[in-house]
Amino acid sequence: MARGSFKTALNSRLSTFQKIYLLLIAGFILGPFIPLVIQSFAFRWAWPDMLPGTWWLEQRENTLMPLAWDYVISPYSRVWEATLNTMFIGTVVTVICLAICLPAARVLSRETFPGKPAFEFFLSMPLIVPEAAIGIALLMIFIHIGLAGTYTGIIIVHLIPTIPYMIRMLTAVYQGLGRDFEEQAMILGANRWQVMWQVTLPMLLPGVVAGALFTFLVSTNIFLLTFFLGQGKIVTLPTLLFSKISGGTLDASAAGITLVVTVPGIILLLITERFIKEEAFGKGFGN
Amino acid sequence: MTAPKTKELARHRRERIWMWAQLVPVLVVLVVLFGGALVLAVAQSLGFAPWFGVNTFPDFSYFAALWGAWSFWRSLGLTLYYAIVSTGIALVMGIILALAMVRLFPGKTLYKYLYKLPLMIPYTVGIALAVIMLGNGGMLSRLMAFVGLIGDPSEFPQILKTHYGWGIITVYVWKQTPFVTLTLYAVLLGVGRETEEAAAILGANKWQIFFQVTLPQILPGIISSTLIIFAFNIGAFEAPFILGGGYPDTLPVIAWRYFNDADYSLQLQGMATVVSIALIAGGILYSYLALYRRYERRIGRS
Repeated sequence: MARGSFKTALNSRLSTFQKIYLLLIAGFILGPFIPLVIQSFAFRWAWPDMLPGTWWLEQRENTLMPLAWDYVISPYSRVWEATLNTMFIGTVVTVICLAICLPAARVLSRETFPGKPAFEFFLSMPLIVPEAAIGIALLMIFIHIGLAGTYTGIIIVHLIPTIPYMIRMLTAVYQGLGRDFEEQAMILGANRWQVMWQVTLPMLLPGVVAGALFTFLVSTNIFLLTFFLGQGKIVTLPTLLFSKISGGTLDASAAGITLVVTVPGIILLLITERFIKEEAFGKGFGN
Repeated sequence: MTAPKTKELARHRRERIWMWAQLVPVLVVLVVLFGGALVLAVAQSLGFAPWFGVNTFPDFSYFAALWGAWSFWRSLGLTLYYAIVSTGIALVMGIILALAMVRLFPGKTLYKYLYKLPLMIPYTVGIALAVIMLGNGGMLSRLMAFVGLIGDPSEFPQILKTHYGWGIITVYVWKQTPFVTLTLYAVLLGVGRETEEAAAILGANKWQIFFQVTLPQILPGIISSTLIIFAFNIGAFEAPFILGGGYPDTLPVIAWRYFNDADYSLQLQGMATVVSIALIAGGILYSYLALYRRYERRIGRS
């Protein structure tokens, strides 16, 4: 009896409830993509049919491609432009963010100084101040100084929500690194630069890659700031999709664009899962 | 005797300067951009906007007009309702999922990819999925017609574009449950199972273990993840804009409408709205953290 209750209290396998729950979660997360894919290949899909009444295949003589995909690859949809913009902005933001966060994370993980807790709190403030407040306030300034609707403006503004994440990830990496190896190298006669290039950087690299991927991901996901500061002149994948579905309906072409916007996320998921250890996210906020 | 001391001091000062030199880039970006945005937002909401030819600083009339209107409080209630309900649901679902994820099961690797998918893709995708699933002509409505519950799309219970906000809440939960799960899963991996084992050996059942051992251990993760998603939910614009029920709108949508108004004097009113959002969010999150800190002190952890 006692051993039985011990076993149920400390089971390392799934209970029946957990099995069902995991299946439901899978359905909740992936399920909605099924009608999306179907919609993108439909020609006519009237209510209440569970499957399209007319597939694009039956209309092949009229269109070479499914309507949705024909639209997606045509220049009218601006998908190509939005993809390039998203990638470009994400890359530049990641590089800048990395360059300014690396030294700061180094100091934060190794030094103590008066006011450090306040400093750390200020660094994570952008996470808890509503994006709408920052976006609209900056829009007024950026219009005034001519940065609204420019790449520079959007890249600058993307730094605000990405810095807190980058700092957190890099600080965790530096803390895990320890100082021993660098000191060893110093004792063996290496100078500051040799230590930097031959000891610190190689050990830091996996963490830096993880931080960079995560920053890129956050940047490509940002809607509100891009929408406000892009002024409609610069479209990215999130803002493109927003304008397509803002009417509250979803036609075949919108379904196609939704799928396209999903693809970078899937690619990043496959890459990050290899580079980012889940433990890296364990560092609590504000402590 | 003094020479080594000054040398020591100089070295110390050099190190301090070098340390701050490394911190300054991030500090400058955040202070100028983020701090500057906040200061200018407050200044404008108090009537300082010389570029519109308005300078009546300090002028509390914009706040007075905003807070004096009943519609502001209804919008605030709506904003908080969407934010709190979805944060709560995402938290509960995230805890259950994280607890399942630390166990062993076939297909776990697959699930590690699967549950993170919503984290990787923009909110707008989530909104599109809500439209195709929950709309009046959507899959749920077709499913109900298929099993014969309804005969016309108009009979489908309205989920989107109502003030109950189930469409908005579903999108937030879909997108944020993975975030909560990821944070808690990381914490659970970090603390290991020794304390749970000890509790089980001492005769605790699984509920006692959860509430008295596991929950206090994952509490920092719970606080940090809910802070972040709650703050996001208060300031989010796109989901309430597309899936919301129209007047009264949530505060970010109202701010957006003020800014797009042809009458630019309303922009200062919009700025007052934005500042109100930040103040209210800040106040709530601050009290939340303070409460948590008090709890931590009470249990003697910090």
